[in-house]
Amino acid sequence: MTQEGNDMGLELKGLKKILGGRVIIDDLHLSVAPGEMISLLGPSGCGKTTTLRMIAGFLAVDAGQIFVAGEDVTALGPDKRPSAMVFQNYALWPHMSVSKNVAYPLKIKGLSKPEIAEKVDAALALVNLLHHKDSRPGQISGGEQQRVALARALVQEPNILLLDEPLSNLDAKLREKVREDIRQLQRRLGITTVIVTHDQEEALSISDRVAVMNNGRIEQFSTPHELYNAPATEYVATFIGSLNRFEGDLVSGLIQPGAHVTGIRPEDLTLSMQAFEGSHPGVVELIIPRGHFYEVVVKRSDATFRIFASENIPAVGANVHVGIKKSLRYLNGKLVA
Amino acid sequence: MISLRRKKNKEGSLTSQGGGPSLLGLGLSLPPLLIVLVFVGLPILIGLTFSLGFTTGPNRVIAIIGQQIHKKNHWWGTLSAYNDVIHDSRFLGDLGLTIFVTVLSTTLVLLLALSIALYQRLIGGRKAAVLVTLSIVPLFVPVVISAWAIHTFYGGDGFMKTFFTHFGVDFPTLTSTPSAIVIGTVWTSLPFAILMISSGLQAIPDALIESAKDCGASVFRVIANILVPLAKTPIIIAASFTSIGILGSFTIPLFLGPNQPTMLGVEISNFFGAYNRPQQSLVMAFIVFAIASGIAVLYVRSNIKSARESGRL
Repeated sequence: MTQEGNDMGLELKGLKKILGGRVIIDDLHLSVAPGEMISLLGPSGCGKTTTLRMIAGFLAVDAGQIFVAGEDVTALGPDKRPSAMVFQNYALWPHMSVSKNVAYPLKIKGLSKPEIAEKVDAALALVNLLHHKDSRPGQISGGEQQRVALARALVQEPNILLLDEPLSNLDAKLREKVREDIRQLQRRLGITTVIVTHDQEEALSISDRVAVMNNGRIEQFSTPHELYNAPATEYVATFIGSLNRFEGDLVSGLIQPGAHVTGIRPEDLTLSMQAFEGSHPGVVELIIPRGHFYEVVVKRSDATFRIFASENIPAVGANVHVGIKKSLRYLNGKLVA
Repeated sequence: MISLRRKKNKEGSLTSQGGGPSLLGLGLSLPPLLIVLVFVGLPILIGLTFSLGFTTGPNRVIAIIGQQIHKKNHWWGTLSAYNDVIHDSRFLGDLGLTIFVTVLSTTLVLLLALSIALYQRLIGGRKAAVLVTLSIVPLFVPVVISAWAIHTFYGGDGFMKTFFTHFGVDFPTLTSTPSAIVIGTVWTSLPFAILMISSGLQAIPDALIESAKDCGASVFRVIANILVPLAKTPIIIAASFTSIGILGSFTIPLFLGPNQPTMLGVEISNFFGAYNRPQQSLVMAFIVFAIASGIAVLYVRSNIKSARESGRL
């Protein structure tokens, strides 16, 4: 069945999934443009992997529809869907060589041997692993295994590429490198991609848009910039980045009792030894080195603030002045303009 | 044991230097080694010399009692007893039946065990759990009891015959035929094969199956290309243990099989006791042993290959 007038890469309409009597996914809607790379981001148990497994066809939906390139694939099994998945633990078959792992989907499609050899070499060249084509998965590193899994997915030329926490088993340095590799490859091939991650840095740096999930629902689906600077809900504001959260309103630069919740990013606070317009005095309580900047905890008469500062760091106990550049206001968990 | 060895290494008294074999380790492994050598190795050696016509020493008494004993006529012995056996049409018939039953029963056991284990791995759920539990029941029933149960079920006056007679159908009498031996050996061998293959299949991560499905593989391809190759080692172990067990089986063919030809386990016993031809009996035992050794080589090779693939060797 073709969806009328749909030019979407991927569209999820009202997905619902109940597992063990518990609603895991509830009325989930998502539209991904062709060639777009999006992340499903959220804490453990928020339903992001369940959503990905429903897209891949490993889990049947209890309600709703899944469209890939306008085609309703809801009733199709994973072997019939035009998607390819890279698993968290790579899921390479240990009894097959690297090239046989990559060739497997092509063999199933019934391609001729020369065609398979050509496509496998091209896919392995794409991920710079042609020299390991005869190695077994157990003989190569985790990062290389990850790239083999990516080559096996890409060789299928899928409409949708699904990545389930693909970097979680890699060390920090390698993770950055592979992350960049994936992003470059995705851009070059223009393939619609959904990546599941619980790492917000990973999601914000790799994706065109990020869907922040909470309790089986999407809280916000926006660009990384919008997500950080204008979080639509209080949950997103606290989940993404750091936030000074106060129950009360901001009046004349001071937190006063009120109906709203006020959120202020640590980098939206100005710290100075001298008073300036809109600032209020406070005392430094704690200084935490955070690498290339410091987190300074300042107690003012109205509230205690966490401030990110990279220069002119005062000493603990110093009298300082704190001003607020920008704040977010929430009522019943929703952003108030 | 490792800490002991390290301690002694430091003192330099009980162990050799440079990571060589440890005397302490050898000492610890010596008692079981001696038991095997004395209670298994030595009787095999004495038996082998007797089959080759060495009728003195430990073989003197049995050589006096036994009939058609061949004495050595070369320094290395004689092959006359072997000649007797391989030119005996009865032995050839027994060997044929033994190989036929072993191959057929092992094949059936593997097919059944693989089907049940695959059902459990791919479908799972309560039905699969009940099926696996039921299929393991024969493990707790003594073979002689199972043999009699099968006898009363498939015999000339058994349940099947009686039941079908009510409907005017003449159900064939399976006892005293090779079919009954096959039924009996499959019954007794199935639990071990299921446990072995099932544990091998259960150890395969779900993601390896899902990734194959994601690549477009049907269930048949997942089984043929992923599950069976990955469970190859437990399948080969199950196959070798099952076939060696059936090759040397005694109770089932004695109770359920025909008198002639019969399986070699029974015939060896007949030659040794009833016919009082211990030398020929030993020759048959060595022939069975040679076949079993061939199967054991497959098992050892599979273990070595598996150890190499997992980096243990």
